[in-house]
Amino acid sequence: MTGVWALLGALAVAGAIGVLLKVREGRISSRETSADLPAPVRDLLAPGVTLVQLSTTFCAPCRHAKVILSDLASRTDGLTHAELDVTNLPDVAASLGVMRTPTTLALTADGVEVLRVGGVPKRDTLLAALQPHLP
Amino acid sequence: MPKDAPVDPRGPRFSAWMTTVILAVVLLTGWWRLLAAQTVLFAMCAFISLKLNPWGHVYRYAIQPRITPTTEREEAAPLRFAQGVGFVFALIGTLGYATGLTTLGMVATALALVAALLNAALGLCLGCEMYLLLRRYAPALARPQSQ
Repeated sequence: MTGVWALLGALAVAGAIGVLLKVREGRISSRETSADLPAPVRDLLAPGVTLVQLSTTFCAPCRHAKVILSDLASRTDGLTHAELDVTNLPDVAASLGVMRTPTTLALTADGVEVLRVGGVPKRDTLLAALQPHLP
Repeated sequence: MPKDAPVDPRGPRFSAWMTTVILAVVLLTGWWRLLAAQTVLFAMCAFISLKLNPWGHVYRYAIQPRITPTTEREEAAPLRFAQGVGFVFALIGTLGYATGLTTLGMVATALALVAALLNAALGLCLGCEMYLLLRRYAPALARPQSQ
C-alpha cells in the first residue's frame, strides 16, 4: 500500500516540477549590476550588448538556445551572441550565481549585466527586453 | 570510453517511458530484482554505450519505421549523463530494498521515477540542466564521463 502512495507522490512531484519549469522557462530577470566578471566572460564582451550563453556538454536544451540566440544576434544590430562552455569551469558559473544551463546573460561592453534568462529564451520577449539597451 | 553517435531524440523518450513503467512496477510491488536489472541497464548505457539499451533496439525495429522520419538529432553526452544519474538512484534504491531499508528503497526509486517521467513526458532532462548544481555538491558523480 505504501508503494501506491510513493507512486502517487512521485507523479505529483513530477507534475509540480514540470509545471514550475515550464512557467520559469525563458523567464527574464532584469538587473543592473556591474559586479566583477570572471575573465573568461569578460573576454567575450563585444561592442553593444553581448548575450553570453552558459552551456555544458551535458545540456541538451543548450543547443536550442544557441540556435535561437545566434539567429537573433545575426539579425539585430549591436547584438552579439557568444557561448561559454562551463562544464569544466564550475567556479565561473558559481561566481555568476548560475545553477542551471542554459542561462544567458546580457552584458554591455563595459561589463554591466542588464538582464539574464534562465532556460531556452523566447525570441520576441527577449528582443523586447533588450531593446532599451541596444544602440 | 567510446563516444556514441547522435541519436533520433524520440528513441530516448520511448526508452524513458519504459523506464517509468519499470520504476512504477518496482514501487507497487517492491520487487527489488527488477530494480537491480534496471540498475544494470542504466550502468551499461552510462558507462559503456547507449547501443546496449534494449529499448533503443525496440524503438529502431518496431516504432521508427512506422513514424515520420526526423532529421533532428540529439547529442549522446547528455543522454549518457542522465543514465549515470539514474544509475546512482537505482543503485541506492536496490540496496535499500535488498537490505530491508524499504523506505530508502522507495524514496530513491520514486526520485528516479520523477526524473524518468519528466524526461518521457516533457523531454526534460533534470540531471543535465542541474549539472552545475550536481557538480558543486557531488563532484564525483558529475565528473565528465564521455570525453
